[in-house]
Amino acid sequence: MTAIVTGCSDIQREPGKVYMPDMGYSRAYETYAMTEEQKAELLKKGIHFSNTPVPGTIKRDELLPFLIGKDGAGDSANYVASKAVKNPLSSMDTVEAERLYLVNCGICHGPKLDGNGPLYRGGDGPFPAKPATLVGDAKYEAMPEGQMFYSATYGKNKMGSYASQLNTKQRWMVIAYIKSKQAAGKSSPAAAATTDSTAAKK
Amino acid sequence: MTNHRPIGMKLLFSIPLLTLVLLGNTLFAQDGKALFQSNCASCHNPFKVITGPALQGVTQRVPDKQLLHDWIHNNQKVLASGNPYFTSLFNQFSKTPMNVFPNLTDKDIDAILTYVETAKPPTSTPGDGTPNPQTPESDNTLLYGILTLILAVIMLILLQVNSSLKKLADDKDGIPAAEPIPFWRNKVYITFIVLILFVLGGFWVVEGAIGLGRQQGYQPVQPIFYSHKVHAGINQISCLYCHSNAMDSKHATVPPLNVCMNCHAAINDYSHGPKLYREDGTEVDGTAEIQKLYSYTGYDPKTSRYDPANAKPVEWIKIHNLPDHVFFSHAQHTKAGKVQCQTCHGPIQEMNEVKQFAPLSMGWCINCHRTTKVNFPDSAGNNGNKFYNIYERFHKDLKTGKMDSVTVENIGGTECQKCHY
Repeated sequence: MTAIVTGCSDIQREPGKVYMPDMGYSRAYETYAMTEEQKAELLKKGIHFSNTPVPGTIKRDELLPFLIGKDGAGDSANYVASKAVKNPLSSMDTVEAERLYLVNCGICHGPKLDGNGPLYRGGDGPFPAKPATLVGDAKYEAMPEGQMFYSATYGKNKMGSYASQLNTKQRWMVIAYIKSKQAAGKSSPAAAATTDSTAAKK
Repeated sequence: MTNHRPIGMKLLFSIPLLTLVLLGNTLFAQDGKALFQSNCASCHNPFKVITGPALQGVTQRVPDKQLLHDWIHNNQKVLASGNPYFTSLFNQFSKTPMNVFPNLTDKDIDAILTYVETAKPPTSTPGDGTPNPQTPESDNTLLYGILTLILAVIMLILLQVNSSLKKLADDKDGIPAAEPIPFWRNKVYITFIVLILFVLGGFWVVEGAIGLGRQQGYQPVQPIFYSHKVHAGINQISCLYCHSNAMDSKHATVPPLNVCMNCHAAINDYSHGPKLYREDGTEVDGTAEIQKLYSYTGYDPKTSRYDPANAKPVEWIKIHNLPDHVFFSHAQHTKAGKVQCQTCHGPIQEMNEVKQFAPLSMGWCINCHRTTKVNFPDSAGNNGNKFYNIYERFHKDLKTGKMDSVTVENIGGTECQKCHY
């Protein structure tokens, strides 16, 4: 019965045939498109689909790596030490920085940096932890950029590491963008009013 | 009677009192919610263990109110005093230090605790999770087939009747009838049938040959039921959050599992979205699919620890596959061409199971290259992409009005070597 149903349904579960498989499917290794033999060969070397570059590799146009390592469990020495690190970027493309923020951070921290992105929705969204209020919370406005960079690189509490999605330069751009928004929030009176109201609640 | 009166009086008095207390309580809890969200919610949830323990029931676990207040004000001091309950809790959460809250007043803390104890878990919204309608599509092919067959039979009968009548008439007129030829030796019939077979056969062969290597509509069963509808549609996660290489690389790339765990370390159940169904109509347990992710990453949601020995890659099935002799780069299309994901991948934010939307045939590529305009400076004040400055003749033609826009084809987008080399 199921055979008849699947036979007649419009759901196409098989990819179909090709003229010449060795022209259709790459002989060289390609991400997520490997023959079974290629997969077995890589597995022997302990590589699963994507290999990481040699440790210490620095890409062209990439900043020097962040030298502070990740803290062990229950330790915060490196987190504290990261406060001293300064942003190496002197200038940046603000439009691109905003785009990176909206793509990677806005989903939790909110497009307005108010810690209320679509995943949290004031506690009604699926994400159970309140994301940091980047603009309007004295704690994060006073946080040095190096420490923010540490959190973006290794993750903090329930925030994950963004080192695989954003490279060193992009992470610094995002942090500079947050800092610029915080500075703008402090100077503009409208934002100051919202800070006051949150302060009054406390 | 005399006995009842005081009770009635008491009741009468107690009603406004009760409402007052209740109202006060709700106001209190509301305030507590705001305080909780601004101070505690980044590490605590009333019902879920996140960075810190789940808080509901804390007043039963720590009956000593003063101790609880001391802990919230300054947990370091309580730990230093060597309280056994809090010390074991601290060790259980891998010694992650809790922030100190010296500014919270006792009243604030009470408000927070009231909120925590009275909060109700978010109810799941069933939404409009109707299964995909399995109604058979109104396909009229069968009906037409039967009609054709009936008509053909009627035609045959009429032909037979016609020839019999003719024979009768001929007999009457005394014309000697020709020896009847059976239809399998009748040249007209044979030519007709051969012609039909030739046309049909040719059509099927050509159709099949063109279809080889094309997989439009391909929709394999993936190892984890990952719904693009839930992630990109309902929760509005940008495509580039996960496919972060699409702007910089040939491949859009399937994200590594650490990207999933950015959110799913905290989101461990599926309770906020509509019910999920596979294409064949069977229901999917979202929470079980998240558990599958944990089994692939070797993550234990109870202890929040990873065990690399248990981790293994997810063998996702690649859907969109261009033959090896075609070069295609996502970066060129998304960054320089500013093409939206949906142009080629279809309404991906509405797909529970991803399906190949475009035919990915050469004709399809070429059609788009012929009609798509490239980013040249225009009269609207757009400066265009500086890379195209080298096409001096087109710039001149645009100025003189000889051309109104430049397409990808104009700048060599349909040359063989652009994609085949």
